[in-house]
Amino acid sequence: MEFLSQTYIALRGPTGAPQSPADTISRLADRLSPSTLIADRRAAVLSLKGLARDHKADIGERALPGLLDVLQNDAEIDADIGKAVLETLNVLCEAEDGASAAARELGFKHTDQVLADEKAAHKIFALVGEQSFYLRFAALQYLATVLQNRRQVVQGHFLKAPAGPTSFIVILDDKREIIRNEGLYVVKSLISQSPEIQKILAFEGAFEKLFNIVLGEGGIDGGLAVQEALACVDGLLRFNQSNQSYLRASSLPPLLLSLLGYPPDLPHDAAPPQQFALQLWDDKQKRANAALVVSIIGILAKSTGPNAHDALTFAFNRCLVEIGLASNMPTTIKTQALRLLPTNLSILPLAHMVLTPYIPVPDTNGEEWDWLEPASGLDALVELVLHGEYNGILEGERRTKDGMELRAAAMGVFQNFVQKDEIREAIVQAMVPPADASEPAPVTPLLYALTAPPAQPLTSAAVAPTHLAAFLFAHLLRGSPRAKALALSIVPRPSSQGAGSFFVPADGAPAAPEPEAEEADEPQSLLSILSEHLSLALLARARADTPEREAREWDRLLVGYLTLLAQWLWEDPGAVRGFLEAGAISMLVEPINQTADTDVAIPGLCAFLLGVCYEFNREPGEITRSTIYPILTRLGLDMLAGRITHLRDDDRFKAVGPDTVVLPYPGVLAPHPAAGAPKQETDEAEVWFDWAFVDFWKSNYHTIEKAIATDPNSLSASAGQDTAMMVASLRDVIRNQASEIEALQAQLKSLSATAQERETLHEQIASLSTELQEAQEKSREVEKEQEDLLVLLDELNVKRRRDKARMREAGLDVSEDEGDEGDEDEE
Amino acid sequence: MAGVAWHYVLKFIITGDAAVGKSSLLVRLTDQRFLSNPDPTLGVEFGSKLITIPEESKVVKLQCWDTAGTESFRSITRSYYRGAAGCLLVYDVTSRQSFLNARTWLADVRAHADPNLTCILVGNKIDLCAEDGQPGRRPREVPADEADRWAKEEGLLFVEASAKSGENVEAAFVQATRDILDKIKRGMFDNDRSPGVKLSRPSNNTLTLEDDSTRTRCC
Ligand SMILES: Nc1nc2c(ncn2[C@@H]2O[C@H](COP(=O)(O)OP(=O)(O)O)[C@@H](O)[C@H]2O)c(=O)[nH]1
Ligand SMILES: [Mg+2]
Repeated sequence: MEFLSQTYIALRGPTGAPQSPADTISRLADRLSPSTLIADRRAAVLSLKGLARDHKADIGERALPGLLDVLQNDAEIDADIGKAVLETLNVLCEAEDGASAAARELGFKHTDQVLADEKAAHKIFALVGEQSFYLRFAALQYLATVLQNRRQVVQGHFLKAPAGPTSFIVILDDKREIIRNEGLYVVKSLISQSPEIQKILAFEGAFEKLFNIVLGEGGIDGGLAVQEALACVDGLLRFNQSNQSYLRASSLPPLLLSLLGYPPDLPHDAAPPQQFALQLWDDKQKRANAALVVSIIGILAKSTGPNAHDALTFAFNRCLVEIGLASNMPTTIKTQALRLLPTNLSILPLAHMVLTPYIPVPDTNGEEWDWLEPASGLDALVELVLHGEYNGILEGERRTKDGMELRAAAMGVFQNFVQKDEIREAIVQAMVPPADASEPAPVTPLLYALTAPPAQPLTSAAVAPTHLAAFLFAHLLRGSPRAKALALSIVPRPSSQGAGSFFVPADGAPAAPEPEAEEADEPQSLLSILSEHLSLALLARARADTPEREAREWDRLLVGYLTLLAQWLWEDPGAVRGFLEAGAISMLVEPINQTADTDVAIPGLCAFLLGVCYEFNREPGEITRSTIYPILTRLGLDMLAGRITHLRDDDRFKAVGPDTVVLPYPGVLAPHPAAGAPKQETDEAEVWFDWAFVDFWKSNYHTIEKAIATDPNSLSASAGQDTAMMVASLRDVIRNQASEIEALQAQLKSLSATAQERETLHEQIASLSTELQEAQEKSREVEKEQEDLLVLLDELNVKRRRDKARMREAGLDVSEDEGDEGDEDEE
Repeated sequence: MAGVAWHYVLKFIITGDAAVGKSSLLVRLTDQRFLSNPDPTLGVEFGSKLITIPEESKVVKLQCWDTAGTESFRSITRSYYRGAAGCLLVYDVTSRQSFLNARTWLADVRAHADPNLTCILVGNKIDLCAEDGQPGRRPREVPADEADRWAKEEGLLFVEASAKSGENVEAAFVQATRDILDKIKRGMFDNDRSPGVKLSRPSNNTLTLEDDSTRTRCC
C-alpha cells in the first residue's frame, strides 16, 4: 500500500494538484509503452494492478492495449512483470457469478478484447509452460478465468497455438501442489466438449499423468486433487470413442477396480474380499472420489467395441453388480452402479452369479455387519427391489429418496435382464406347478410378495413389496403371449400366514364369514388371487374412515394391481375370461362410477381395464361382449372415455419419465415425527407408476377409447376400418404361426437327434465309399499290372519261341518246356 | 487382463489424403475387419495392437493414431508428428493425386517430426487393380516402381497393401517396427527421451504405472 501511495504521489502533476483516476490511469498507460525503461513499465503495471479492482472500466478503456503489449514483450523476460500483468488482466476479465450484471458484462467485454488477438492467447499458453512458479501459476489462473468466460474461443486458440499441447501437459507433472491443482482445474475446463483437445492430450500422455496423480494422492482416500484428476479422466473419455479405445488398450483400467478395492483378476467363482465389500464411507470426499471411479468404469464397460465378452468388460460389470447388490457403498453409488450396467445384460449371467449380500447389525452405527447366505445375483436383485436396501433395516418405515432410487434402478436392471423371451419364460415357468403335479411349485419371493394379502392398517412399508412385485411381474408378461399363457397356470401354494388374515372391510359391520375350510384349502390361481386382492383394496379405499395417508397407500396398491392386470389381459382373451369370471365387472364399475372425486388415477385405470376386458373378451364364456356392452352404455361411453384420458392429467402419472420413477412425497402428508423427536428433514419419496406402464398406456389408450364405443358383435375396436381388422387378423396369423413354430421347434428337436444319426451314417457312408473307391482303384491297379504282366509274358513267350527257333536253326540243343508243348501241337 | 507383457510401446501416426483408407487400415490391423462404408464421423481414430518381432523376440505394443480431422488445426497435427516413433504415409494406388499429395504430407512430417522417425509409404487399395477383373475394379494410376523409386529417394520404406483383402497391412506395421527397433539397437534413440518410444518391463502384471513422466519437453 505504501508503494501505491508513493506512486500516486509520483504521478501527481507538477502542481501537486490531485488528479482524477482517469488521468492517473492514462498516465500509467502511457508508461506501458515499449519506449520506457522496463523498470518503469513494471511500476506502471503494478500501479494499474492496484487500481484494477476499483477502476475496471477506465483501465480497460485506456490501458488494456498497453497491458497486452507488456504481456507480449516483457512477460517471458521478466517474471515479476509477467505475473503482475497476468494478475491485472485477471481482475479486468473476472465475471463472477455473484457480481452485478454490469460488472459481469465488463468482464466479458475485456475477455473478448484480449481474446480477439490469438497472439495474446498463444502467449498465455506459452507462459503456462514457463518454469517460474509465479508466472506459471498466474498464467493458469488467468487461463481459468478466460476459459470460464469464453471457453470455445480459448479452445480454438489452443488448437492453433504454436506452443502446442506438449509443453502444456507438463503442468500435470508439476510437483508443486498449488500449480498442479490449478492445472487440473484448467485442464478440466479446456477439454470440455472438444474431442480434438481430448484426443491430443491423451496422445500426450494425459491419462497416465492423471492416474499418477490419483495414485500419488492416496487413491479414493485422497483429497480434492484426486477428485479433480478423476473428473479430468471422465471428461477425456465420456464422449470420446477414440480415447475410450486408447484407455481400454492401456494397462490402466484394472487400476480403476483396484482403486475401489476390487481385485482386477478376481476368479469368477471367488467372492470379492471384504475390504472391497465393507468400507468406511463417512468421508464425503471419499464418496465423491468413488462415485467418479464408478462412473469411469461405467463408460469403459459400455465401450466394449468388438470385445463385449472380454475379461475386462466382465470384471467391470461384475464389479458394478457387486457394488449394487453386495456392498456397503453409499446408496447413491449403488444406484449409479446399477444404472451403469449395460442394457444388454446377456453378457452377465445374473442368474448364475453368486453374491454374498451384507446387512448391518442393528444399532452398531454401520460398524458391524453380518453377511447373508450366498444368493444368486437375480435373487439378490429381486430382494432389493421388493424389500429395499438391507431389507429396510436402516430405513425402517421411512422411504428415503435415495433408497427408492436404488430400488427403481434395480427394477431397471431386472427389466433389462428379462428382455429375452427365454429368460422371462423360464422365470415364469419356475412358478408353474410341474405337469406331474405331485407337489406345487415353490412360491418364489416375487410371487410371495405379489400375492401377499394386504395388511391392515396398510402402511407404506407393507405396500411397497406388492406394488413393486406387480411391476416386476408385468415386466415378465408384457408383450409375451407365452409368458402370459404360463402365468395363467400359476397356482401358488396357499401361504400359511395368509390364510384367514385377509382383511375384510365391512364398514364396521361384522367381518364376512370365513371361506369354507375346504374352499380355503383349494389352491387358487394367481389371477384369481390378484382379483380378490384387487376387490379388497377397492373396498378398503371406498371406506369413509380410512385416514388420508393410509388411503393413499391403498391407492398405490391398487395402481400395482391395475397396471399389472391391464398389461396382462391385453391381447389375452384367456386371462380376460378368468378375470371376468372372478367378478371383474362389478368391482371395476364401482370406482368408475364414483362421483365428485379429485382423484383421477384409480377411476381412470379401472375404466381402462374395463375397456381391455371388453375389447379382448373374445373367448366363449358366461360373460360375453354383449353382456358387458349395456353396462358400458349405462355408465356412459363419453364418461368412460373421459375417465381414461384423464389419467394423463394425473400429476403422479405425468411426472414419470424414462429415468424418472421416484417422486417426492408431498410434504403436507409427511408423517409427523413422534412427539419429542427432533423434526427430521424429510426427503421421503414414493413410486406410483413405472415408465414401462406409462409407455404401454400411452401407446394403447386410444385403442381402448375406440374399443368401448364399438358394437359388441364387431371384430375389434375399429371394425369397419380395414387396417384394424387387418391387424387383428394378422395378429391371429402371427399367433398361429407362433404356435406352429413352437410345434415345429419341438419337432426339430426330436428330428435333430435323428439328424445327428443320419450325419454319422453319412460320415460312415462317405468313409466307406472312399475306402471302396480306394479298394477299387487298387484292384484296378492290380488288374492293370496283371494285364501288363500278361502282355509282357506274352511278348517274352513270342521272343523265346523266336529265339528257340533261331537256336534250333543254328543247331543248338534247345530244351523243350511245357509252353512249347502247345506250340508243338500246333506244329 | 490388460497386464500383458510387452517390451516397447511405439506410437504410430497415419497420415495421407482423405479417403485413401487410413481408417480402414487401422481397423484391419486391430480388428481384422474391413468396412466397405466406414462412417467418417464415427472416429476410428485410435487402435492398438500387440505384435511380435520373432528375430528380436520382442513384443511391441503399437499405439496407432489416425490424425484425421486435425487438418484444420495445424499445430495439433504437428504435435502428433512430434510425438510419434513411426508414420504410415498412405496414398491410394488408383489415385495419382493422392500420391502427388503425399509429397506435401511428407514435407509436413519432415518439418515437425523427430528426425529419427521411421516413415513407411503405403500404397493402399491394390485389390482394386488385381488381375482377376472383379467388378468395381479401377485402373492403377501409380506404378509400383515409381512409388518405390520415390520412397528410396526420400529414405522411406515402401509397401503396397490392401485394407480390404488385408494383404500387407500387418506387414507394413511390422516392417516399420523392425526399422524402429533397429534404430533403438543402434542407439539412435536415447530410450527415455525419444518421442513415441516407451520401454516397459516385460510380464508386468502389477498395477504400478509405467512412468511416463521422464519424458521432458523437446523442441
Ligand atoms: N477396395 C478397397 N477399398 C478401400 C480400401 N481401403 C479403404 N477403402 C475404401 O475407401 C473409402 C475410404 O476409406 P477410409 O478408411 O474412410 O479412408 P480415410 O479417409 O483415409 O480414413 C471407404 O469407402 C473404404 O471402404 C482397400 O484397400 N480396398
Ligand atoms: Mg478416416
